Amino acid sequence: MSSLLATMYVATGAMATDQGALEVTSNNVANVNTPGYSREIPTLEESPPVVLGNLTYGTGVQLANVQSVRDPILQLRIQQETGDQGQLNSYVTAMNQAQTLFTTGTNDIGTEMSNLFSSISQLSTDPSNLSLRQAVLTAASNLATSFNNTASNLVAQRSNLDLNVVQSVQQVNTLTQQIATLNGQITALQNVGQDPSAFIDQRDNLINQLSGLIDVSEIKSDSGITLTTSRGTALVTGTQSYALSTQPDASGVQHIFSQQGTDITSQINSGALGGLIQARDQTIPGLLNGLNTLASGLANAFNAANTAGFDLNGNKGGNLFTPPPAGVTGAAANMSVAITDPSLIAASSDGSAGSNGNVANFSAIQNQTTISGETPTDYYGNLVFTVGNDVSNSTAELQSSQLVLQQLQDQRGSISGVSLDEEAANMTQYQQAYDAAAQVVVAVNQMLETVVNMGATAVSS
Amino acid sequence: MSSIRVNPYVLPDLLADLNNTQQQADTASLQMSTGSRINQPSDDPAGAAEMVANNAQSSQADSFLRSINSLNGLLQTADSTMNNVVTALNRAISLGTEGANGTLSDDDRTDVANELSGIQQQLLSLANTSYQGEFIFAGTATVQPFVADSSNPSGVTYNGNNGANSVQVGEDYSVQINLPGSQVFTGTSGNVFQSINDLINALKTNNNIGSAVTEVSNAYNYVTGQRVFYGNALNQLQAQQNFLNSDTLDLATAANSISATDMAQAATTFSQAEIAMNAELDGISRISQVSLFDYLK
Repeated sequence: MSSLLATMYVATGAMATDQGALEVTSNNVANVNTPGYSREIPTLEESPPVVLGNLTYGTGVQLANVQSVRDPILQLRIQQETGDQGQLNSYVTAMNQAQTLFTTGTNDIGTEMSNLFSSISQLSTDPSNLSLRQAVLTAASNLATSFNNTASNLVAQRSNLDLNVVQSVQQVNTLTQQIATLNGQITALQNVGQDPSAFIDQRDNLINQLSGLIDVSEIKSDSGITLTTSRGTALVTGTQSYALSTQPDASGVQHIFSQQGTDITSQINSGALGGLIQARDQTIPGLLNGLNTLASGLANAFNAANTAGFDLNGNKGGNLFTPPPAGVTGAAANMSVAITDPSLIAASSDGSAGSNGNVANFSAIQNQTTISGETPTDYYGNLVFTVGNDVSNSTAELQSSQLVLQQLQDQRGSISGVSLDEEAANMTQYQQAYDAAAQVVVAVNQMLETVVNMGATAVSS
Repeated sequence: MSSIRVNPYVLPDLLADLNNTQQQADTASLQMSTGSRINQPSDDPAGAAEMVANNAQSSQADSFLRSINSLNGLLQTADSTMNNVVTALNRAISLGTEGANGTLSDDDRTDVANELSGIQQQLLSLANTSYQGEFIFAGTATVQPFVADSSNPSGVTYNGNNGANSVQVGEDYSVQINLPGSQVFTGTSGNVFQSINDLINALKTNNNIGSAVTEVSNAYNYVTGQRVFYGNALNQLQAQQNFLNSDTLDLATAANSISATDMAQAATTFSQAEIAMNAELDGISRISQVSLFDYLK
C-alpha cells in the first residue's frame, strides 16, 4: 500500500510537469513571429513505477525533454532554393537596368542608325547642299553619342555591381563569423547534454541568409557544421570561420579571394554574388563587346565609303569617324565623328561638286552584311533580342524559384511553424491538468489533516 | 495527431499573391498608357528585335518618300523649263519659215534675225535655270552651265560637265534625276544654240535659210526627245511613291501587330487584377486576427 505522502508527491510532480509544458507553450507563443524559430514540444513520460508486494504503483509524470520540431532535409532544400533565388534576383535586377538601354525610343542606337541613313538618303537629292551635309554630320555625331552613352552606362552599371560584390563579401564574412560562434555554443551545450535548439534555429537562419549570398555546401560533423562553397573553399569549420577578401584586378574589377589567397570569383555561381558576378563578368561584357563590334564595323564602313569619294572641294575624302581601335575594345565608348566641316563629306564620285555618285556607297552600308556577317540593323536587333531574352528567361526562372521557395516555406511552416490555435489548445490542456493535480494535492492535504486529527483525538481522549 | 498540420503562417503567401496581382495590374496599366505591349526588350525579345528591323525599314521608306518629294520639285522645274525650250524652238521654226519666204526684204529678214536673237537669249537663260540654288543643266557641276561666247560657233560655252546623278528611292531602285546640259542643248544630233545661231546668220546673209530651218527643227525634235526623260522620271517617282505609301502602311500594320497593346485585353486584365487585389486585401485584413485565444477569454 502506498502512502499519502507518495500520492502528494505524484500530484506536485504533475503540477511541476504541467507548469514546464506550459512554459514551452509560452515560449512558442512568444516566438510566433521570430524568423527561423522552430516550435518546441514538451515530451512527457511516466515516472518509473514502484513495486510494493504484488502491486505496481505509478509514480506520476515527468518532463523528459523539450524537442524542437524541424526537418533538416527540408532546411537544406530551402537553403539551395534561397541560393538560386538570390542569384536570379541579383541577376535580374542588374540586367533590368541594362536592358533599358536597348529599349527602342528616341535616342537608342537603332533609331540613331536609321536617322543617319535617312540623312544620307536626303543628301543624295542635293549633294552640294550644305545644310543637308550638316544634317548628315549631326546624325553621325548623334549615333556616336548614342554608342558612347550606352557603353558608358553599361560600364557604370558594372562598377555599381562591383560595389555590390564588395558589400556582399563583407556580409558573407559577418555571417560566417556568427555561424562559427554559434557552432561553438551549440557544441558546448550538447557536450553537457543540454538543448541547443535556440542556437540551432539561429544558425539555420544565418546559413539561410548566407545561401542567399554565396553558394554554400553543408557538412555535419561532431564539432558542429562545416560550410564550404560548392567548389570546396572553406567558409566555416567548427568554431573557425574563414574570411573572404576582395581585391581589384588591373582593370579595377573586384575579384574574390579565399583566405588561402585563391581567386574563387569564377567559382561562385549561386546566391546574390553568383548573379552579380554573372552579370558583371559575362553578360554586360558580352553586350559591350557586341556594341564595340557594331560601332567599329560601322565606323570602318563609313570611313571606307567616305574615302572612296570626293568632298565638296573635289579632294579625295578622308575618315568620317575617328578610326576605331584595332581590337574592338573601347570602340563604342570612344566613337566620334572625325570631321566638323560638312563640305568634307565625300558625296561625289568624280570630284565634281554636284555629284552624288558616292552616296550610294554610304546607303549600301545598311544592307551590307559587314558586322559579323549581319547587316548593322540585324546585328543590333540581335543584341536587343539577346538582352531581352536573357532578362525574360531569368525573370521566368526567378518567378518559378519564388514559387518553389514559397512552397518549401509552407512545408517548413507546416512542420515547424507556431500555430496559435494549437498553442491555445495546449495551454488549456496543461492548465486543466495543473488544476486537476492541484485538486489532488488539496484532497491529500485534507486526508492528511484527517489523519493528524485522528491522532489528536486519541491523545485528548 | 492524425490530421495534416497546415502552415500557420499564411501572411507571407498572401502578400506574395498580392504582389503578383499588383504586378499584373501595373503591367496592364503600362501597356494601356503607352499603347505598346513591348515596353522593354524582355517583354517580348523576338518582338523587340522585329521592331528594330521594322523601325529601320519604315524610317528608310520615310526617307525615300522625302527624297521623292524634293525630287518632284526639281524634276517639275526641269520639265516645265524643257517645255519652254520646246515652245521657243517652235517659235524659231515659224520665224525661220517666215524668213525663208523670198518676198521678204533684207530689213524684214534683219527684224526676224533680231527676234531670233531674243529667242537665243531666252534659251540661254532657260538652260541656266536653277532649282533651290542648283543649276539643273550643269551635269554634276555646280557652276552656271552656259555662258554666252561669240568666239564659239554656237554662241555659248558649256561650263558644266557630263555627269548625271541617280537617287535611291527604293531598296534596290534608283532613278536618274538629271541630264547634263551638254546633252540636252548642245548634243551632236541636235544643237539648240548652234541651230539658232546658224539660222540668224543665214537670215542675215540670205543664204541657205531653208537648211538652217531644217537644222532648228532637228534640234526641236531632239529636245522634245530629251524632254521625255523628265516626264518618265516623274512617272517613275509617282509610281514609287504609291508603292512606298502602301509599304509604309504595311510596315505600320506589321508594327501594330507586333507591339500594339490589345486594349480590350489589357483593360480586362487590369480590372480583373483590381478585383483580385481587393479580395486579397480583404482576406489579409480578416485573416490571422482570430485564433483560439480569442475564444478563451
